[in-house]
Amino acid sequence: MTNAPVLELKNVHTYYGNIHALKGVSLTVGKGEVVTLIGSNGAGKSTTLRTISGLLKPRQGEVLLEGERIDQVPAHKIVERGVLQSPEGRRIFPRLTVKDNLLMGAFTRSDKAEIEQDLERVYGLFPRLKERVAQRGGTLSGGEQQMLAIGRAMMGRPRVLLLDEPSMGLAPVLVEQIFNIIREINSQGITILLVEQNALMALGVANRGYVLQTGQIVLSDDAKALAANEMVQKAYLGIE
Amino acid sequence: MNSRIRAGLIGGIFGLLISLVSGGQIAYLAGIIAGAIASQLAAQEEDVASVRAGIQLGLRAGLVAGALTALGVFIRGFLINPLVNVSADASVVFMLGLGGLVMAGVAGVVFGAIRGLPSPQNRFGTLLAFGLLAVAYPFLDSLLNLRFMNEVIPVLIFILMALGLNIVVGYAGLLDLGYAAFFAIGAYTTGMLASPHFGISMPFWIVIWIAAAVAALFGILLGAPTLPLRGDYLAIVTLGFGEIVPIAANNLDNVTISILGVTLLENFDLTGGPRGINPINRPSLFGYAFEPSQPIPWYFLILGLIVFSIFFILRLRNSRLGRAWSAMREDELAASAMGINLVRTKLLAFAMGATFSGFAGAFYGSFISAITPASFGFDVSVILLCMVILGGLGNITGVILGGLIIQFADRLFLPQLGDVVQGLLQNSNIEVLKEINFKTDFRTMLFGLTLVIMMLVRPEGLVPNERRRRELHADDEATAHERQTLYDAEQA
Ligand SMILES: Nc1ncnc2c1ncn2[C@@H]1O[C@H](COP(=O)(O)OP(=O)(O)OP(=O)(O)O)[C@@H](O)[C@H]1O
Ligand SMILES: [Mg+2]
Repeated sequence: MTNAPVLELKNVHTYYGNIHALKGVSLTVGKGEVVTLIGSNGAGKSTTLRTISGLLKPRQGEVLLEGERIDQVPAHKIVERGVLQSPEGRRIFPRLTVKDNLLMGAFTRSDKAEIEQDLERVYGLFPRLKERVAQRGGTLSGGEQQMLAIGRAMMGRPRVLLLDEPSMGLAPVLVEQIFNIIREINSQGITILLVEQNALMALGVANRGYVLQTGQIVLSDDAKALAANEMVQKAYLGIE
Repeated sequence: MNSRIRAGLIGGIFGLLISLVSGGQIAYLAGIIAGAIASQLAAQEEDVASVRAGIQLGLRAGLVAGALTALGVFIRGFLINPLVNVSADASVVFMLGLGGLVMAGVAGVVFGAIRGLPSPQNRFGTLLAFGLLAVAYPFLDSLLNLRFMNEVIPVLIFILMALGLNIVVGYAGLLDLGYAAFFAIGAYTTGMLASPHFGISMPFWIVIWIAAAVAALFGILLGAPTLPLRGDYLAIVTLGFGEIVPIAANNLDNVTISILGVTLLENFDLTGGPRGINPINRPSLFGYAFEPSQPIPWYFLILGLIVFSIFFILRLRNSRLGRAWSAMREDELAASAMGINLVRTKLLAFAMGATFSGFAGAFYGSFISAITPASFGFDVSVILLCMVILGGLGNITGVILGGLIIQFADRLFLPQLGDVVQGLLQNSNIEVLKEINFKTDFRTMLFGLTLVIMMLVRPEGLVPNERRRRELHADDEATAHERQTLYDAEQA
């Protein structure tokens, strides 16, 4: 790690009722980094993101944003502090237009001129969205909805962007495109925590990575080293 | 079928039913309503490029609607009236039918012409025309000798409430089955502050604000426990609140509170119990006292309240709060992830919704002058919900239209239909039929049937957003084949 972490989880335990989903997760994300969290279904990746964004409260442990605890802060305040999430399954607003969906991402902001600029920036990243400004979100294709979900999170001027499986259900061409966009977003100085099933692609864009297994971090390393790791290759890259 | 003729037929059905069932001079008004509806519907179907085109279109649709209206007049005058032994002068009936036809044509032309104006003016003009119709109604009523004013005012009270309920259900997506509770709270607040009950006589113009504020406060109090609930669970809890309020009003006429042996209140009559509170003071303005025998000032008062509310609600809808409501309605989790404070957003929906019911309650209390718990039951909540859903959730025009139809059907049309059918049954020669009491036995059933048919024919509400829907369909087609090539993996 080269610089002080923007985001840090210390021994976080999160529960769904009696289900112990996160069993002491600790991780850090440095400023300007892309960090990926890989793991099989049900490992607790989405739970980790939900805990960071305040949608779930950990029963034990700490979540720190630039050194300040945010684990008991309500979700909407965490958004105001610049942590935005593109949630699993996209969760765009189906009956609102593309433009209204994007504007909803800027809900916590009131700087009209800059919002307008950011809208153009998002259209620059996703020209397909610009063609469809007046279309309702629910009628977009899956790939377009994913672009909308990422674009919507971008409208909140994130300092930390949490992406939950952005490549889910997309054709290979589009997966490539989405990962290029993730690179581009990161090059604009935005820190990214990326949750992925597609470990190969994720490790391709990430600086570092963590492997999550049934609620615990079992491995963490440089992205390159992880990609070369035998266990990772077997379990997540499908290489024998 | 030609869209103008179809629009004319739909508008004409209203004209036909009204002139057939109500009979008499209402034919003129029926013509105006039929013509206006026909013209609006026709203009919805095709783009009206100029005033000239609008006039042509409106005339065509209006005359078709007028013909049906006249048909209603003739059926009533020549077929039904003789059967129930009402003498009918053929020339009078003929003139009425002609009058209905002409009025429908005129209304069609006027509304069509307005739709032909350039873009901002046409909407403003349409609004103005309907507004003028609303302002002119009391004069039409007395001109045509209709005597509906005492029915029209309660109709408008319900419309005001439906506008408030639309905030909760339509904008925020919170299914509220106990909305009448806030109506009751507004009315009781007025009763307590402006009647001999406590000997307080605050002026109506102040009480109405207090009533709204108290209703809003209860909106928050009743909303708070429902925060974690959604959908059907929320509906059940609100249903409970809707029941509790009138029951409490029924029983709080003998309150005794003692704490640690110190009696704070003994046999205190808070609500008047089953007898309720009366007489409630009536408003007066610059020395003019509102009287029950003079409905016109009341009419304009409630109309003014509605216009004020619409203005306020439109502002709300376009505000930050309005946007938060629509996000919350669509997806609570995503809304929360956008930085929307769900607790605040939900409570404000309940509070804002309740405010308008508070206004309505205050007006109702002063107008009726006597309130009892029985007037605020579940049936009120249900009929309001019907009004909101029938018209088209979240659409103010739709809510008003749906509200007018349901309320007039319930208060005027179905009772009059009952009279007509009862008359026919009595005058038939079949003994069994004479025994049927149509008025009381079938009215509720007919009401239910009307709702079922309406919802089957137009589940999206009376005023769906046509323009937007067409846009959507066009887009669907355009993307369909692109999707096949680009996103094949997704379809597998
Ligand atoms: N709302 C919930 N209630 C109860 N248990 C839950 C809930 N959401 C998730 N879980 C459980 O918590 C565990 C972790 O779930 P999580 O969604 O974080 O997995 P994930 O790593 O994101 O998996 P995937 O890759 O399939 O999305 C799973 O065992 C899951 O069944
Ligand atoms: Mg997941």
